[in-house]
Amino acid sequence: MNQIVTDEFQGATKYVLDQELAAIVNISMRLEMPLLLKGEPGTGKTMLAYAIAESLGMPLIVLNVKSSMKLVEALYQYDTLTRLNDSRFGDSKRDVSNIDEYITMGKIGQAFVADQRTVLLIDEIDKADTDFQDDMLDVLDQMQFDIIETDQTIKATHRPVIIITSNAKKDLSDPFLGRCNFHHIAFPDPKMMRKIIHVHFPDLDEKLADNAIKAFFSMRDIDGIEKKPATRELINWIRALHADPDFRVKDLINGKLPFLGVLFKKSPDYERAQNLTTRRRLF
Amino acid sequence: MFVKFFYTLKDVGIPVSPTAFLTLQKALYNGMVAGLDDFYTCARAILIKSERYFDLYDQVFAHYFEGVPLPEDAGFEIDAIARGLLEEWLKNPRKVADALGIDEEKLNKMSPDELIEYFKERLKDQDGRHDGGGKWIGTGGYSPVGHSGYHPGGMRVGGTSGNKSAVKVANERRYKDYSTAGPLTQANIGEALKRLRNLVPAGPKDKINVDETIRETMRNAGEIELVFDRALKDRLKVILAIDNGGWSMDPHIDIVQTLFDYARAQFKEVKTYFFHNTIYDYVWEDPARYKKPKKIVDFARNDPETRLIIVGDASMAPYELMAHDGSIHISERSGRPSIQQLKFLAETFAHSVWLNPVPASMWGYTHTIMTINAIFPMFELSLDGLEKAVTKLMAKDTTTAA
Repeated sequence: MNQIVTDEFQGATKYVLDQELAAIVNISMRLEMPLLLKGEPGTGKTMLAYAIAESLGMPLIVLNVKSSMKLVEALYQYDTLTRLNDSRFGDSKRDVSNIDEYITMGKIGQAFVADQRTVLLIDEIDKADTDFQDDMLDVLDQMQFDIIETDQTIKATHRPVIIITSNAKKDLSDPFLGRCNFHHIAFPDPKMMRKIIHVHFPDLDEKLADNAIKAFFSMRDIDGIEKKPATRELINWIRALHADPDFRVKDLINGKLPFLGVLFKKSPDYERAQNLTTRRRLF
Repeated sequence: MFVKFFYTLKDVGIPVSPTAFLTLQKALYNGMVAGLDDFYTCARAILIKSERYFDLYDQVFAHYFEGVPLPEDAGFEIDAIARGLLEEWLKNPRKVADALGIDEEKLNKMSPDELIEYFKERLKDQDGRHDGGGKWIGTGGYSPVGHSGYHPGGMRVGGTSGNKSAVKVANERRYKDYSTAGPLTQANIGEALKRLRNLVPAGPKDKINVDETIRETMRNAGEIELVFDRALKDRLKVILAIDNGGWSMDPHIDIVQTLFDYARAQFKEVKTYFFHNTIYDYVWEDPARYKKPKKIVDFARNDPETRLIIVGDASMAPYELMAHDGSIHISERSGRPSIQQLKFLAETFAHSVWLNPVPASMWGYTHTIMTINAIFPMFELSLDGLEKAVTKLMAKDTTTAA
């Protein structure tokens, strides 16, 4: 199934998009500003970038931010070791006196030099320290950076569509926020969830879907749960229910919930959910 | 266009920047906004940078475009009164406690944030405006909090004349940033953190040292000799215990918390615990020191390489430190005086320091400070002291690593 490539983002095959978010994505693209997405895990922050790339037919470049990461790693790498090796043995095709041959682009660099417009996803920016964030914004603002070793300036040939995600409870720094557009993705409501489930399981039994979603939301409401199950868990859970030949939809209605381990990944959460569901069945 | 809208947003306390406003203008000018619905989402994405303000934004939007009046007793007004109360509380805790008819001890245990929340709860309890009557905050009544009333132990939340409501007056007062009063200010935190970063070298030798490699290769007559270094891993387990009881510590909690929030990324593990005055049988994970107690004896199970940093003014009555039943909480009296618990901690964690917000020059005047100083190496909670503390915390590590 091929999507028609337009310059407007309208959703993708496996992504249910609400109109509001679509408008924000489109305006960010038009203004050429990075879009910062926040929201609890499982609201599809990362998936959005994949969906944009798919729908607009652009290549996606993912920069997974790590806590120890330095900005320069995201821009380019200078492979000293290979160069040293080449200078010693001289048996490679590379020209040792040309530093350029030993410079490889990092993820941001790749997005800049790509010969078409790309989607650059900077995932979980909050993991890195504030210096990284501020430095990176300078690069994204100017759409260029310098390679110190060769005294070269790399300019973005096409401004990439930049999506930044953050899980942080606390806000990012002010200069950072100033340069981004912002959207907070709320957790999908049951109706939205129904659509999402439909996208993933187009021929799922209506009754099963309804009851699974109902059970899922009631389990999200259990007090004192450390890690609430998110969309990903629900999809896996339905997959598990689907795969089990002994499973009947009636069980869900009767409050019998199998495979709780798919939904709850922390043992205290699991026990709590288990206790609650058994109790509900008794009374 | 929409200049007034922008300023209304600013007025209700949403941090909006002119740059963002210009961006919005650009979007409008380029015809990217078609209709009011579009404007709603676009303006929000561009102007509002945190979901905390989404609700306020909605209110302002409704006010500006649909004429819905801004709620008179909006959240931010209650905020302002609560802050006024807090300020008063910092000046004279007993008076506020008496006025609200609650135990000063109980309030003492709360952090400033919790206090604000608590005050807000009390404020929200009142139904609408209140001028007279005996229960809540308002004007002219005999309520304990408010002003121009005649409750004997009453307290005025700002305001001088009898004509203005507490709400209005509290609103005019600007929240004093009490957290900057400490010796370590917000502006200094970045600097202090650079020092904290020095805390943690180490790790396996897996990073190539180019300069050394070239030198060694030269010495080796051109035969490549690789030299590896330890990667600079800024990872270390840290336990941070903060004294958040007693209002003498209140001005410092914020600054300490901010400091370690920033530092969190640096360490493998930062555990924050709270205690009141000194440590008895338990410390608590929650600032209220109520929900999540942790037994001191359990700390023996922690990695002894963990760095223990205690922050407190170490000032108390000597019996609180020395007596078997020194704790004010009955449940905590296991018979071990606090001083023994402190010694136990000092023995468990070879790398431990006590940071004291009281200036070092004053330490000699307080008996308990001197006593604790003999157990933990004590440093002033200042840039200088922090640097020394960091050096102290790392001192032994370099000998074991070598």
